[in-house]
Amino acid sequence: MSEVLARRDRALTPEETEELLRDRLGEQVGSSVQEYGVFTLWIHPDGWQEAARVLADEPLLAYDFFDSLFGIDAREDGFDVVAVLYSTSTGNRIALRTRCEGGREAPSCPSLTDVYRGANWMEREAYDMFGIEFPGHPSVEPRILTIENFEGWPLRKDFHLASRVAKPWPGVKEPAELDEDGNVIEREVRIGDAPGPYDLDKAMADQARQRNAPAIEEAEQDEDTSPDDPDTPAEVATDADAAAGAAAKAEDRRKAQADARAAKAAERAGADSEPAEDLDQETYDQLIAEGKSERIARSKAKAAFIKKRRAQERAESEGGADSDDGDEGDA
Amino acid sequence: MGLMDQVELPQPVKYVFNWGRKYSLWCFNFGLACCAIEFIAASTSRHDFIRHGVIPFAHGPRQADLLVVSGTLTDKMAPAVKRLYEEMPEPKYVISFGSCSNCGGPYWDSYSVTKGVDQIIPVDVYVPGCPPRPEALLDGIIALQDRIQNESLKDRMADRRKDPITLGADAPLALGSSS
Repeated sequence: MSEVLARRDRALTPEETEELLRDRLGEQVGSSVQEYGVFTLWIHPDGWQEAARVLADEPLLAYDFFDSLFGIDAREDGFDVVAVLYSTSTGNRIALRTRCEGGREAPSCPSLTDVYRGANWMEREAYDMFGIEFPGHPSVEPRILTIENFEGWPLRKDFHLASRVAKPWPGVKEPAELDEDGNVIEREVRIGDAPGPYDLDKAMADQARQRNAPAIEEAEQDEDTSPDDPDTPAEVATDADAAAGAAAKAEDRRKAQADARAAKAAERAGADSEPAEDLDQETYDQLIAEGKSERIARSKAKAAFIKKRRAQERAESEGGADSDDGDEGDA
Repeated sequence: MGLMDQVELPQPVKYVFNWGRKYSLWCFNFGLACCAIEFIAASTSRHDFIRHGVIPFAHGPRQADLLVVSGTLTDKMAPAVKRLYEEMPEPKYVISFGSCSNCGGPYWDSYSVTKGVDQIIPVDVYVPGCPPRPEALLDGIIALQDRIQNESLKDRMADRRKDPITLGADAPLALGSSS
């Protein structure tokens, strides 16, 4: 990598990269696919190391950053290894994917540690989790992510979780779980099931309605029965019912709140109507009569109003100064 | 500790001695996950457990009286917790803070998580929650201090531990009703 030709403005497209790699490696390069926003190239295990070397050393590509490496359980097809490479000079990212040799029993994939030293621990991780051997790796033992004497490969699909054997997973594992014949299992909703967001919304709306409805009705009733109020407590007092007292108190509170709300609404309405008073009505009517739009008429009328008011204020202040003098004279 | 593990102290001496012990709990935080953040919140000015005599950030386990395990304990980490616990001088107390250290919590079926710190070290107080609020830790500390005030050091040193306290175990559903 003595001479780097790769640049952001001259970055090869994924198709050109594939072509270049196919030119170098021939049959080793398989199909390509754009997956999850990353250009993925299938490589035969025999060409795995060579492909990484070309991508790293080719001056036009310069994939100099080893991003990540991980395993995938491909069920009966064995295991896949994916290596993601990044080029700091072009900003391109590419994923290489290969199917390990050896099936499920002894999966193995050539190590990339000779090309990228950073691959070391990532391959160890893939070994820890999937049991994939990496010939050419300095040493994948001892395990680094699990305890050293851990038995089994925890991320394999056939790995049994001891706790799950004792207590099965409560509920459905997948959004649409299939039975033996491939039909979707539809779970009946039972009491105690967590409500979905939509159900929750409905329930909250119902609750709010129930809570507000009596308040509205009572507010209407209060207006009718308020003159009779002095009589009702007398009747209640004979019972000396604490509950009734509490209810009456709650009613009072609700009423006070309703009053406050009404007062606030009136205030707000007042605040809204105030700007309308700033208009100079004559100018406004005149402009409307001329056929101007309401918005323009309003703004011009406002300007006229302010002008008039300023003039008025000026006149007042002069007059006021005179009157002040007069007052002093009186004193 | 000298004779204290062999002789029962006279009551007034015991009272003063335990009073002194309960208000100078040097605390060693074994923070492993998000619960550790709540622990730190409990140690800072808003919740401030120093006002209860809990002194955070002991220099090491050898200077600590109280071990707070807060967070997800994995099998890989378990030997370290065990070792640090054994480095602490007697009498020593353990608060298990949060669901993960109580029982594995949401990782109950994981291949790598220890199903509760009580599988490797004895626990005095369990604080449930995921994560618990700092107030819950204060509650657990006060429960532990009550226990320290009333305990016999002789029994403690002879390893006659009382059953652990589980916060909220007496009234698990009483949170909503204030009356």
